[in-house]
Amino acid sequence: MLRAQSPELPAGPAQAKVTTACTECHESRIISQQRLSKGAWTKEVDKMIKWGAVVDPADRDSFIEYLNTNFPSDKAPEQMPRVASARKR
Amino acid sequence: MISRRDFVKAVSGVVAAAGAVHPLLTWAAQDSPVVIPGEAGMIVRSARFFDLEMPPEFFDSWITPAPHFFVRNHMHEPSTLDPETWQLTVSGEVERPLTLMFADLVRMEPHTVTNTLECAGNGRAFQHPHVPGVQWQKGAVGTARFSGPRLRDVLQRAGVKPTGKHVMFHGLDEVPGKVPPFIRSIPIEKACDEDTLIAMRMNGEALTKHHGFPARALVPGWVGAASCKWLSEIKVLDKEFDGNFMKPGYRYPNHPLKPGDPLNLDDSHVLTALTVKSVIAGPTDDWTSSSRSIHIRGAAWAGEAEIVKVEISTDAGATWQAAQLGRDRSKYAWRLWSHNWKAPKAGDYAILSRATDSQGRTQPETAEWNPSGYLYNAYDQVKIHVQS
Repeated sequence: MLRAQSPELPAGPAQAKVTTACTECHESRIISQQRLSKGAWTKEVDKMIKWGAVVDPADRDSFIEYLNTNFPSDKAPEQMPRVASARKR
Repeated sequence: MISRRDFVKAVSGVVAAAGAVHPLLTWAAQDSPVVIPGEAGMIVRSARFFDLEMPPEFFDSWITPAPHFFVRNHMHEPSTLDPETWQLTVSGEVERPLTLMFADLVRMEPHTVTNTLECAGNGRAFQHPHVPGVQWQKGAVGTARFSGPRLRDVLQRAGVKPTGKHVMFHGLDEVPGKVPPFIRSIPIEKACDEDTLIAMRMNGEALTKHHGFPARALVPGWVGAASCKWLSEIKVLDKEFDGNFMKPGYRYPNHPLKPGDPLNLDDSHVLTALTVKSVIAGPTDDWTSSSRSIHIRGAAWAGEAEIVKVEISTDAGATWQAAQLGRDRSKYAWRLWSHNWKAPKAGDYAILSRATDSQGRTQPETAEWNPSGYLYNAYDQVKIHVQS
């Protein structure tokens, strides 16, 4: 069996809290493949809070800041992994 | 078309096997391992929720094998699916509400539709400015033979009242947090189309769990989201279903927006049929050819319309040559196409493809931008290097 670990989110002041709140439901890659403006990140964070993400209201702005710093709209796209065969062919 | 008896036999025979997914490949997402059904080469967009994309080189088969067929999940897949206890209810604006078991559906006359199923967000990664969502590139699409009873036969059994105008689907996917459930509806006319199915089989096999076992809606020619997986509830409504995945989700502007502008929900419509589109399967992007003779190939589809033409340009769109369309065709299925081209000299080239359909639609050079990145269909393009 092939096993591969989801990558950790990048280091930063909100890394631990973002990881806890988001990976309750999502794999980290669904976050790291986004390339969004600060306005778009704000909408996403607010939508996820509405949908049940546990975020202390005092942390909302730091979440947006962290996501916008690490996954901004002008950054090159992320290469996604391919499924590798578990069997030798 | 297979006989009803063969269909019953075939479906019954695979029930036990279909519940257990073969652990060919696994992916450990955080601490929860996820079994991946894909053959080597499939692109993992997300392991949780599970989203798997087909790479361009797999576009050269008219029928997409299930392990190469893209997977799109909005939620957790159902944790248990037992065909012995699975039920499908039919309620709402009907004379006789029904509860159907797996065996009841298997006993109904099956119908087969070869359909190209595409996620509304396929190509989202190419939108500028970027938009949120799974960053699909080219392969959130595939073509398969889907079989099962016609939805209209089930509706007929229940007896739709004159007030029944829309048909709602609800599946067994498990909702995390306070996320609205994945419930959508289609108009009664499409629900009663002879090709709209409750699909139980895909390419002659029981559906895999990732593709909606034991039964899914199959709404041919429409965005994938219409074809609800793990179907458990059908409800006939007197109006369109009002929920997140109908509004604001899966809506498209009535008039083109300026890139970056917000969607005005009052000036939008819910997505239905797919648009016209082509993808180049080969050569692949960044390919280096040792020969000047290049075999260009791919697939083109147009939802409810037919592909009438695919053209190739190797000079940035100044001139176009018609590609040859493949023999295999079916109303809702893509056409494969190919074109042999000789590069005039060594160097770097961009190859473009564009399709035209029976409704007179041609792929545009630039796709219409919208805030969710739906229905991306700009010319496809690959860049290659020719050595000799």
